[in-house]
Amino acid sequence: MNLKKYITAVVAIVALFCLGACEKVIDLKLDEAVPLIVIDGGISDQNEYHRVKVSQTYSFTEPNKFNGLTGAKVVLKIDGGAQEIVFREVAAGVYESPAKFKGKPGSSYELTVTYDGKTYQAVSVMPARVALDSLTFKTFNFFGNNKSYIVANFLDPAGISNQYRYILKVKGVVEEDAVSEDRFNDGNKVANVIFYELDDLVKGDSVLVEFQCIDRNVYRYFYSLGQNSGQGGPPVAPANPPTNFSNGALGIFNAYTSGKRTAVIK
Amino acid sequence: MRYFAKSQQMYIYLQHPYTQFFMPYTIRVVLILLFLVLFQHSNAQTKRTVNGNVTDAKTGETLIGASVKLTGPVSAGGITNAYGFYSLNVTDGSYEVSVSFIGYRTILQKVELSKDIRLNFTLEEDNQLDEVVISATKKNENVSSPQMGLQKINVREINNVPVLLGERDVLKTLQLLPGIKSAGEGNSGFYVRGGSTDQNLILLDEAPVYNASHLLGFFSTFNSDAIKDVSVYKGGMPAQYGGRLASVLDIKMNDGNRKEFTAEGGIGLISSRLKVEGPIVKDKGSFMVSARRTYMDAFFKLSSDSSINSNTLYFYDVNAKANYQLDDKNTLYLSGYFGRDKLGLAETFGFNWGNATVTLRWNHLYSNKLFSNTSLIYSNYNYVIQNFMEENNFEVNSSIKDFNLKQDFEYGLSNDHQLKFGLNIIHHTIAPGKLTADARSSVNETTYENRKGLESAIYISDEWAVSERLNLVYGLRLSGFSLMGPGNFKTYDKDGNITQTRSYGSGDFVKNYLNLEPRFSASYQLDKSSSLKGAYTRNIQNIHLMSNSTSTSPTDLYIMNSNNVKPEIADQVAMGYFRNFNEDKYEFSAEIYYKKMQHQIEYRSGTDLRGNGNVEADLLYGDGRAYGIELFLKKRFGKFNGWIGYTYSRTERQFDAINEGKWFYAKQDRTHDLSLVGIYKAGPRWTFSSVFVYNTGNAVTYPSGKYQVNGRTAFYYKEKNGYRTPAYHRLDVAATLEGKPGKKLQSSWSFGIYNLYNRQNPFSIDFKDDPDDKTRTQVVRTTLFGIIPSVTWNFKF
Repeated sequence: MNLKKYITAVVAIVALFCLGACEKVIDLKLDEAVPLIVIDGGISDQNEYHRVKVSQTYSFTEPNKFNGLTGAKVVLKIDGGAQEIVFREVAAGVYESPAKFKGKPGSSYELTVTYDGKTYQAVSVMPARVALDSLTFKTFNFFGNNKSYIVANFLDPAGISNQYRYILKVKGVVEEDAVSEDRFNDGNKVANVIFYELDDLVKGDSVLVEFQCIDRNVYRYFYSLGQNSGQGGPPVAPANPPTNFSNGALGIFNAYTSGKRTAVIK
Repeated sequence: MRYFAKSQQMYIYLQHPYTQFFMPYTIRVVLILLFLVLFQHSNAQTKRTVNGNVTDAKTGETLIGASVKLTGPVSAGGITNAYGFYSLNVTDGSYEVSVSFIGYRTILQKVELSKDIRLNFTLEEDNQLDEVVISATKKNENVSSPQMGLQKINVREINNVPVLLGERDVLKTLQLLPGIKSAGEGNSGFYVRGGSTDQNLILLDEAPVYNASHLLGFFSTFNSDAIKDVSVYKGGMPAQYGGRLASVLDIKMNDGNRKEFTAEGGIGLISSRLKVEGPIVKDKGSFMVSARRTYMDAFFKLSSDSSINSNTLYFYDVNAKANYQLDDKNTLYLSGYFGRDKLGLAETFGFNWGNATVTLRWNHLYSNKLFSNTSLIYSNYNYVIQNFMEENNFEVNSSIKDFNLKQDFEYGLSNDHQLKFGLNIIHHTIAPGKLTADARSSVNETTYENRKGLESAIYISDEWAVSERLNLVYGLRLSGFSLMGPGNFKTYDKDGNITQTRSYGSGDFVKNYLNLEPRFSASYQLDKSSSLKGAYTRNIQNIHLMSNSTSTSPTDLYIMNSNNVKPEIADQVAMGYFRNFNEDKYEFSAEIYYKKMQHQIEYRSGTDLRGNGNVEADLLYGDGRAYGIELFLKKRFGKFNGWIGYTYSRTERQFDAINEGKWFYAKQDRTHDLSLVGIYKAGPRWTFSSVFVYNTGNAVTYPSGKYQVNGRTAFYYKEKNGYRTPAYHRLDVAATLEGKPGKKLQSSWSFGIYNLYNRQNPFSIDFKDDPDDKTRTQVVRTTLFGIIPSVTWNFKF
């Protein structure tokens, strides 16, 4: 259902035939805003140290960075307080569980972050695990140019609503972070194209895809984030994506199952 | 009777403090006036009625808005209606009749009256006048009529105004008038007095057109060859119009030449057009067929590469109309519009959409005083999306279909009172989507429930010439809307959670709304050439367009009133000063307006409108307000003519869940909006023209900071629509060379340059990581149309 892509393509074609369309990097004066806290954390079903990152917003003109906040108190409660884990700060703004553990599908995770006297809370329920069966390649011919993409293949469980997230990394850098749901293909064998063009890669390069099963709120957060960045679509009036944190924090807390596969460019 | 069963709800509605404030008073005034008029004239003295049609001598086309005046023992004057019909009441005696229409030679004729008579007039076009731009109204109609907020466009005017790619376009020329703003670069969508694009009622021969654009908004569906008359009401809508909040755009198609067969057409850069018209039976009936098609994709065909030449991208439209006059009292009209856009990307993707409308009308004279028009209208808008990728193949079908019955009466009660009354019933069926796929596909077949609704209205209004100076138009429209089964209907709470689901059978009423819409306007003539006007109008909208992209898309979703969505309401108050100078050579008007809107609709962030059966869960409701001043100065005749339009305005919205409940600028808010149009007729063959537009940028949301999520840059938005896009301005020029006169085949060349000084107006501004240096973010401006030349060859024989 990647209608937006096509509409963009159409706008591009129309513009092309009107001989005028052009893109230019410009200077634009943007307001400075009071910094806001950002919490980006997750609990997976893998046996690992789980991480929560606490940072704050910064000016648009500054170089991209992780603007970490030190000294936050990060506490995880599992299934309504049956278990409580206090995270420790391992680097500026990076908080980690003190020990490795596996999250459990069906469990409810509540994250509480206290910083500068204010408390922010979020809850995420880990969905049931769906396995990523394979990665394949797909080539589209678009006006005489071949464009190749990776396809994630999996079997969607019937009768329940599932949400998926695809994180595509090349050489350790996240190049694409997209989500999908099974509204149109519940219970079927799904082949979902990840719209990251592989054509700049060379033979032997490897592409890592992490496949997450996420809850509804997390899905909506990333869907909205994707709308803002256009993800190739027509411009949507942007807004801060709907967070699951209380008290005005930005960011998302995500309890997810994780499966990873690597594809090598041939 | 079940329709009124929920009168309790109406009672509650009428108890609403806001309703109480406005409605009882205005409604009472209107009802009392109407009553007085009807009572007063029940035993008025015997009068003679003079009525008939005014037509063009050469083509037999009826003339809309021609002035007919009787001078004698008493004086009376009127204007021909949408069917070229007029009716006047006077006493016995001898009169002088004058019939005039700008651009035509005035007829003066003596007539002796001792009984009711029918007088038809044919007017000859006057080519001697240097009137390149011809106003369709009588010379000072703009001053004397109580109607305000009305702009008329003469189609001949459009032919000389420069346009993008040489494609004449009613909707784009309209955007050069004050109070009417373009929805974007090269876009045929428009905003009227703070309304959004879906709040315009667009009528083509009375049929509502749902998506009035081609190619994602770059071209309007209206082929100007087929159009006779264009009126747009920005406020003070007469009571016979209803259903949308912001404006009424009433477009009437040509009837066709009743005298002889003619053909005309044009060949342009991206499209060609052809119109054929002629008599069915001479002087009794005629037909007109007009068609155009773009051929951008013809360039694809030049390629030998199958991945290029198998792509399609075009649109076509066909306007057709036929009329037949059965006798003096009965005329039938049949008109239709069929248009479609098609695009396809080789073997991957297909997408097509379009409108079809059919209008059957019957004009009937019940008596000398009672004119009736009955219309049966069918209107259908649909789109089809096809994805041919084998493992994901699917097809989506969606449509909105209307059956519409309209009955309108015009009754000449006396010379001082012209009554209009009638009724309208529309049956809507919205099919939000049907998803089909074959067995190989991962997509499941799904059908979203159709929604059916019944929109009905009755209205009455009276145009009252109170005195020589004071004219009133006042009326009432009672509009109802019923959402009907079958289907499962959900009710949501404030947070979008389902609180109730109820199942209804076919024909069950799910929810009823009833609203009264008072309409009132008045003009007070200060002297022969100037007047003051005032108007109050309430408008109701029962059908709403959901679109979360900043530009219009063919897949935008229509929804009706429901358990959750209430009718949108707008109350508008306007005042104006109208003045003509220099023997009506110049026309000036200043109008101010204030508009309050209720039950406006927005979405939560992250709303997915595609195949979303729960879309109402994601809607937010709030208020709107808009105010502004519109100045208009037009030179109507002479070698050089044209106009200046300037608007200062504000448009704001307020939603509890957006922007912390504070008022914010709507995206269509533009402080200043200026248009200059100049046309110069340099001689018998050359005409030069130019357009300059300037407007403040739209209110938009830009980031005020950034942060990282999963190592990727995300932007922080401090407030909604707190920024402005850079100001928009542009200069266009055009020249038309007419062929040598006197030939059988008349031809002309039109040359144009759009955006002469190559202003880089932004189509969009995007914020993203610099692709060459991922540690930085950048702002990228996309400009769609730089300087663009065009040429078109037109012919007529």
